[in-house]
Amino acid sequence: MKLNERSVAHYALSDSPADHTGFLRTWWGSGTAPGPSGAGRRCWFVLKGNLLFSFESREGRAPLSLAVLEGCTVELAEAPVPEEFAFAIRFSAPGVRPYLLAADGPAAQEAWVKALSRASFGYMRLVVRELEAQLREARKSLASHRRSSCRAAASRCKPPAPDHCSPALENGHSPCKDRSPGSTAEEGGSRPSGWASLEWEVQGSASLLLGRGQSPVSPETSCFSTLHDWYGQEILELRQGWLKRARVGRAGWEQKDRP
Amino acid sequence: MRYNEKELQALSRQPAEMAAELGMRGPKKGSVVKRRLVKLVANFLFYFRTDEAEPIGALLLEHCRITREEPSGFSISFVEDIERKYRFECCSEEQCQEWISALRRASYEFMRRSLVFYRNEIQKMTGKDPLEQLGISEEARFQLSSLKA
Repeated sequence: MKLNERSVAHYALSDSPADHTGFLRTWWGSGTAPGPSGAGRRCWFVLKGNLLFSFESREGRAPLSLAVLEGCTVELAEAPVPEEFAFAIRFSAPGVRPYLLAADGPAAQEAWVKALSRASFGYMRLVVRELEAQLREARKSLASHRRSSCRAAASRCKPPAPDHCSPALENGHSPCKDRSPGSTAEEGGSRPSGWASLEWEVQGSASLLLGRGQSPVSPETSCFSTLHDWYGQEILELRQGWLKRARVGRAGWEQKDRP
Repeated sequence: MRYNEKELQALSRQPAEMAAELGMRGPKKGSVVKRRLVKLVANFLFYFRTDEAEPIGALLLEHCRITREEPSGFSISFVEDIERKYRFECCSEEQCQEWISALRRASYEFMRRSLVFYRNEIQKMTGKDPLEQLGISEEARFQLSSLKA
């Protein structure tokens, strides 16, 4: 099976942020032995998104290995030699060999296990989706707050502002609308309990927050700069529409004016 | 670079964001258009022979550029060699648009940027950090400072 390896290696070395780095002892593919053996090999590891790269050294310019952290669980494990801080990445698909790794100390071990267990694309997507919903709510309640204050002032009210005020927002939409977050296979039942409870935590507090978002807007949202930006956006939109209409109108006049 | 094929094969069997039979032409000189099943899963695009269960190949969709190609197709190339294009042919304009927008959203780095954008916006509007309320504000992957402008 082919992979765009050159691009993958380029990504590994690019200056996009690493989510975790450090030295780990590894037993993967060491020598020809089928199973792990010996003291393993000390390599520099870089976690970027859902990809875990290893390098010969910190300055290594070519990744030695790549692991794709999808459909896997991370758990504490026993190393083949007395090594106290080992952990394993296990894949739910049958026949995929787990990776056995070991950190230098308990703090490093914990940090790695935490970072690796939250590395999947599905986890990132879940959080993005949650924030997307929160922002929509915040905008809605701000708009309704504005509407009610308009009414109070008995002034002419404009239609509520659109949900999307910037192109980045539109692009950030979660790709799959037809599936609920819990039903994708990569987020399926094969996660360790820690993962499952974390997801539950995220979703649980999400619904709490959404509930709160429906209440009338909180006092913080009426701070001047927020409102200024908010009205500013609307004025820009109105101005654009006005300019367009003015152009069309002018074109019409010019035609009529001709003999 | 060592990677486990079985790991990628397992990922290719996961539910897809998008999947369709498209015409595909590799970046090598003289390569011809072939019918392929193309499947988008997470930030990988897998392609299969139409009668085979295992993919022939995968493209990691980080640091890539998706370009509209006439008449109704698109291409994927990667930053280290932007002229080296994987070309795809769709059966309609509409299908092509769907693929382009799905592929542009498919990178982890794009997700991260969206997250930072939302986090910022929500904080500006409500004065509260939404991630703090979710108890994950300390996670390295969600930090504003880790992103270069």
